[in-house]
Amino acid sequence: MSAVELNDVVKRYGALEVVHSIDLSVVQGEFVVLVGPSGCGKSTTLRMVAGLEDISGGTISIGGRVVNRMAPKDRDVAMVFQNYALYPHLNVAENIAFGLRVRGEKNAVVEAAVSEAATILDLTPYLKRKPADLSGGQRQRVAMGRAIVRKPRVFLFDEPLSNLDAKLRTQMRAEIRRLHNRMGVTSIYVTHDQVEAMTLADRIVVMNSGRVEQVGSPMELFLNPANAFVASFLGSPPMNLLKATVTAANGAAVARIDGTDDNPAQLTLPAWSAAALDAGQRILVGLRPEHLEIETGTVADVQNIPTTVDLVEPLGSEALLHCRIAGQPVVAKVDTPSDVQKLAEVRQLLMPTDRLHIFDLETGRAVNGRS
Amino acid sequence: MTSRMTHYLKGIGEDLRRDWQLYLLALPMIVWFLLFLYKPMEGLQIAFKDFSPFRGIAGSPWVGLENFRTLLEDQIFIRAFINTITISGLGLIFAFPVPIILALMFNELQNEFGRRFSQTIVYLPHFISVVIVAGIVINLLSPTTGVINLILSSLGFEPVYFLTQPEWFRSVFIGSNIWKEAGFESIVYLAAIAGVSPTLYESARVDGASRWQMIWRITLPCILPTIIIMLIIRIGNLVEVGFEYIILLYQPATYSTADVVSTYVYRTGLQGTQYDLATAAGLFNAVIAFALVFTANRISRKVSSTSLW
Repeated sequence: MSAVELNDVVKRYGALEVVHSIDLSVVQGEFVVLVGPSGCGKSTTLRMVAGLEDISGGTISIGGRVVNRMAPKDRDVAMVFQNYALYPHLNVAENIAFGLRVRGEKNAVVEAAVSEAATILDLTPYLKRKPADLSGGQRQRVAMGRAIVRKPRVFLFDEPLSNLDAKLRTQMRAEIRRLHNRMGVTSIYVTHDQVEAMTLADRIVVMNSGRVEQVGSPMELFLNPANAFVASFLGSPPMNLLKATVTAANGAAVARIDGTDDNPAQLTLPAWSAAALDAGQRILVGLRPEHLEIETGTVADVQNIPTTVDLVEPLGSEALLHCRIAGQPVVAKVDTPSDVQKLAEVRQLLMPTDRLHIFDLETGRAVNGRS
Repeated sequence: MTSRMTHYLKGIGEDLRRDWQLYLLALPMIVWFLLFLYKPMEGLQIAFKDFSPFRGIAGSPWVGLENFRTLLEDQIFIRAFINTITISGLGLIFAFPVPIILALMFNELQNEFGRRFSQTIVYLPHFISVVIVAGIVINLLSPTTGVINLILSSLGFEPVYFLTQPEWFRSVFIGSNIWKEAGFESIVYLAAIAGVSPTLYESARVDGASRWQMIWRITLPCILPTIIIMLIIRIGNLVEVGFEYIILLYQPATYSTADVVSTYVYRTGLQGTQYDLATAAGLFNAVIAFALVFTANRISRKVSSTSLW
């Protein structure tokens, strides 16, 4: 039985439909991340699961019960909000205890639960402090403490790390994952940060314009994106997508990159694609920045792509090359050589043919001839 | 000492140079305060003189605290002072919470039209002239044609002469004041409630709080600083009851409960031309008001960390 199930869920504000027919099944103990750009409907979907937004169509079930018309308090969920939603007049202990107090739990039960949560989250020294006297990370932990003392069936996280700086975000990300491993509670987590999604999720749901684009494990989505949107959304830097036209040469499909008059470039497409593509078909060729190389490695079947380098961004052990292939912008992530200056002189990039992704330009869907 | 003073003056100079636009904006208000509130204070010396309009302030002889002694021996002033405190105290107990309750009620109304309509209805009396309000009250409570007495008569009760019986005056005064001002005063609390983050309520809903619990555990604690500020201001006005409305409603028959310091000052100073005594009464009132607001502010700062200054 699924812990949370969304069937054909729709959300409309008047005539405007913002979430279109979402189907999703979250199994017990799973950590599912809804990821997508701002305004894609991920927070609205989460709020519908929480009961903070009415649903306009479809059904939501939690623990096998349809909860469409059920009040949030009866859904057995706990939610962590982006701005933590801590009560400013209550201290840490009272904030954590809030959910239990309003439900009329006995003092002893409340105190034991608060103490346990504080221990898990390293909050014991701060129990008497008010939220204003805490750092961002500590506030975040208090918000999580308030959720875990309730021992709910499902945790809902609405961009809980957005207000933290980059360093703290990385630290808290690991803490959330550790907490999930320890407690094993089904969790639905909303973020627009694909790194958070990749690192936290058992499964990722990529959303765009109120629709689910693809659902799968992080690596599944990374390696086999269903469409150009997913391909460009996951990965840092995102996948390069070059507009091209399919031509045939010697029985193999070849992509002629757009804008080749002055600076011609073409790529031989993987053998499996020949059957799936038509000559003259407009496509997007996807190149992951980390799959582009400047020196020949051990991988066979590597193609040379003529390029010009606009900008070099050294990151330490790696560097980002902002290049142009046939005039189209491309980013390559390469190992930093001992002489960084040499990167500016790169004139060709190497790309293993079997790492190429192909998408139909019109529909954006992946052209998939692979088994 | 001199170097410290130089340093201090230099600091003020730098401050003025940096924020001159802000000081320029404040200037008209400062001038207004100086001209109309501080300059007239020189007239306070009348309270310590045997003042005669013919001799003027400078020509009138000093009498020290004689006027204050006369006041404190005057049973009518003592009665007026007690009435002032009683009416204000009862107002504090009964009228102060009403705008808070109204604001909480408006906040709970889900229907936008219903909320706007009821807000408009309760704001309106504030904009009615106090003379008209007094007329409405007199008409409502008339023993022969007043709605209240007609209702009482239809229920078999004897008509009540509300405005001539001293025991009714305070209820009538405070009740009609609540009707007139509570709605408008609720705006301050509504603004404070609007400042409470909606996610606090959402979080509480998920945690299982009822609406009643949300009011008690979230709304009221979150607007407490505003309530305290309003309370301090109210305490500062404890010894001041607006005399226009009282003069419009009271009559010699109800002086025993209706006569307050401001009406005493009006009668003694303007009608009785005892300007020195009236000024002493006014000054006495002001000193007590200052002491009250100062004390309330200190207590509030210690207890709740909220204060006016």
